[in-house]
Amino acid sequence: MRIASSYSLAPINSKLKKDELSHLLGRCLFGVSIKDFEFFKGKDINQCMESLLKRSPAPEMLAQDDPDIIDPLVPRGTQWINAPYESEEIDKKRRFYLKAWWVGQIINRDYSLTEKMTLFWHNHFVTEMDIVKDGRYSYQYVHTLRSHALGNFKNLIREGTTNIAMLVYLNGNSNNKEAPNENYSRELMELFTLGKDPHVRYTEEDVKAAARVLTGWKDDKETLQTNFHPELHDTDDKRFSSFFDHTIIKGRSGASGAIETDELVDVIFCRKETAKYFCRNLYRWLVCAQIDDRVETEIITPLAYILQANNYEVSPVLRTLLSSEHFFDPAFRGCIVKSPVDFWIGASKQFDLAFPAISVENHLCWLHYMFYLGGLSMMIGDPPSVAGWPAFYQAPKFHQWWINSYTLSFRMKIIDSLIAEEGLNCNGPRIKFDFSNFVRQLENPEDPDKLINSSVEFLLAMEISQSDKNRLKAVLLSGQEADHYWTDAWNKFIADPENKENKGVIETRLKEFYRKIINMPEYQIM
Amino acid sequence: MNRRSFIRNSAITAAVPLFLGALSACNFHTRRRPQNKILILIQLIGGNDGLNTLIPLDNYERITKARPSLYIPERKILSIKGTNSAGLHPSLEGIKDMYDNDLVTFVQGVGYSNLVLSHFRSQDIWLTGADTKILSTGWMARFLETRYKNYPQGFPNQKYPDPPAIKIGDTGTFLFQGETIDMSVIINPSTGFQAPEVDLPADDESTFAAIEMKSISEVLLQTQHYSQTLKNALNTTFQHSKSYPKEGENSLADQLKIVSKLIKSGSQTPVYLVDLKGFDTHQGQVDPSDSTKGAHADLLKKLSQAVSCFWEDITAMGREDDVVGMTFSEFGRRIMSNASMGTDHGSSQPILFFGRGINAGIIGVNPVIPEHVTVQDNLSLQYDYRSVYSSVLKNWLDAEPTVISDVLLGSYQEIKIFK
Repeated sequence: MRIASSYSLAPINSKLKKDELSHLLGRCLFGVSIKDFEFFKGKDINQCMESLLKRSPAPEMLAQDDPDIIDPLVPRGTQWINAPYESEEIDKKRRFYLKAWWVGQIINRDYSLTEKMTLFWHNHFVTEMDIVKDGRYSYQYVHTLRSHALGNFKNLIREGTTNIAMLVYLNGNSNNKEAPNENYSRELMELFTLGKDPHVRYTEEDVKAAARVLTGWKDDKETLQTNFHPELHDTDDKRFSSFFDHTIIKGRSGASGAIETDELVDVIFCRKETAKYFCRNLYRWLVCAQIDDRVETEIITPLAYILQANNYEVSPVLRTLLSSEHFFDPAFRGCIVKSPVDFWIGASKQFDLAFPAISVENHLCWLHYMFYLGGLSMMIGDPPSVAGWPAFYQAPKFHQWWINSYTLSFRMKIIDSLIAEEGLNCNGPRIKFDFSNFVRQLENPEDPDKLINSSVEFLLAMEISQSDKNRLKAVLLSGQEADHYWTDAWNKFIADPENKENKGVIETRLKEFYRKIINMPEYQIM
Repeated sequence: MNRRSFIRNSAITAAVPLFLGALSACNFHTRRRPQNKILILIQLIGGNDGLNTLIPLDNYERITKARPSLYIPERKILSIKGTNSAGLHPSLEGIKDMYDNDLVTFVQGVGYSNLVLSHFRSQDIWLTGADTKILSTGWMARFLETRYKNYPQGFPNQKYPDPPAIKIGDTGTFLFQGETIDMSVIINPSTGFQAPEVDLPADDESTFAAIEMKSISEVLLQTQHYSQTLKNALNTTFQHSKSYPKEGENSLADQLKIVSKLIKSGSQTPVYLVDLKGFDTHQGQVDPSDSTKGAHADLLKKLSQAVSCFWEDITAMGREDDVVGMTFSEFGRRIMSNASMGTDHGSSQPILFFGRGINAGIIGVNPVIPEHVTVQDNLSLQYDYRSVYSSVLKNWLDAEPTVISDVLLGSYQEIKIFK
């Protein structure tokens, strides 16, 4: 098998070639439109990084436009996120609203890695909204992820450890000195920081000691705050194993018992295993699922060093990795099977679908997108378990997990709904591909060979065979031999774009043409 | 319907707004086929609390001390035929009836030594059938590969017209993951099965991308091949048992309903996997006011209801001698309760088998509860989980001894589960 030829983290020559830029943006942005591409074209790698790593404040939840849809007890134009809890029925609507809003943030992403990294954190530091069962709590969880999206891993874990939704999700709120609950401390080590590789030899006793450190935190449904309750806190000393150099976290009483939580995070983040585990997950998210010994030594280990040296700020790691010769190695083109977000929102971004201007209507579309992501096994807000989606951890299949006999058919069906004349009916607004508008932005669309080449180049991560191209051409030419049939039809359309008949001729062929491309297995990878 | 009421009524409750309509209405002619043995695996995801499932009654006061907040009052425990030393959780009425009619057996204390308390690793241990080695294939897939040689090349064929395994749900499972391909076809309970129509790329493994492409192509190939058979099977008309709950109320019952339809259609698929999620009862396992209610009681009720409805279907179609079901979970739970009305991860578990092909009763002895239980204490191991697998392969799926030791990487004690 072909493996990477470069294992260097040195930055590539600053001028990016077209395919290199496509690769970079494809991995960072969940679908790249022609406009997106134009924005980055001509920038050198440092300028690209400047845009990709640009931090913006976490967006505030929209005030609700229409209380009928979400929450009849919260007035129009105000937010439900601090309103009293009402009932499971209403809270379920709030949670759907929250998930759909998140999907909307992805659809309306800027030119930065914010959305890609927010989803990364969600998969890394999981809560499930339908288990937490309080949309207001989950909003705070989402806000924490978003605030740290391009920020600091350690800060996120410290803040997340006492995040109100996490306290509920992994039972931190019932962890007390009388009966410590190990659920959070176990996942903290196994999934959030150190990982469970055989050489990471923390012990069951460490899990228990960490649980005791974390005793005393409670959520408050009235104030929506988390509070530390000294009377529930275990004030004995907590002794850790040799893996943690026999560290002792001294038991503290009173309000200062909360400081032990900071100390625990310090202890865990002193271990280089934590930095390595993070870098491996990030590598799988952005580069390739397979990590061999060479990648471990020459990529993961130095990245982990950079992460620790920068006190767990993630930007320097992202900058190094995404600018590196290794990242741009052609061996990695197409090595990731698109996640449902990459596929479904990605297709909508690539073809630059028009979403409604009004926010209520937009929300209806986002809800539909959210449900379809769920149908493809990626309900944002509700990963299948505390480990996240199996596609990102389950060796040896990894990303292939997304594709099975059910989801593959479903991917094709929902694309068909965007191709259909009536479009994707979001109970009012309708979303559909506008292929003729897309094609107008390509060079020389009147030439069928050039149209095929530029479409394939723009939409697929890899070249396709001449026989595949011939099949695509047969669609454009409706089985005719000579290219000019397409050229004539295109020119006729351009001369009079309002003429329905001319447009119909073009659209019919383009629909079948792009349907064929999207249905190719090559479209499933990036 | 206007937009608002759409949001209020449908989108909020429907899983996915479905334009994926009904499957095509083909005429279906029942195939006359040999009646093969069928195994239904029921995965209880999260770690089932065995001590509150099959409840030991000798020394019951030790249990009441160890788990004061969640033991089941003795008078509420369902008694079962022929024994005074164990009973069933009150939610398991359907299972009790089946037990009393010699259709159920429990194997006590099943697990593996050197307990791992991580859900993921422990699930992998159960699904791959290996505890010390890290394998990338499922134990059942390794067995199916010996029967369906070179799958998917040359399949389906006259001898094997149906998929080697069927998973109900929307994701695959490690259990059916073979060396190169998933041995199962996945059927979604709400949308059924549809095969995509696309061209397949050339066979190539020279790059990372080509490997990904190959895996996608194989899924395509497989789904295309079984498409018509499965559509026909799912269109079989069959009057299910009237006892089934409404669709959407009991996910396990919904899944087993599809399995019963496939069996009725004459499908020769030998293995099915269905699941029930939510057994990770760290919190709220029981209601504070009534320990016979709460999350665990609801789950066991679903299990019991689903299994007994399914069994009514199997009886109605006269296939009682051909179908056996078995539950498993990644681990049991701790003897001692925690402070959140729940239990933390623990060790071994009782395994439930049902069907007419099994030796009804209880295999193994009641777990020993220490007099002074600490948070460290766990139930002891009586049977290695691979002994159970080995017995299933040998006595139900008719595997050769050499095949069994290849599949399970060694030989394991035989347990007299089957007649």
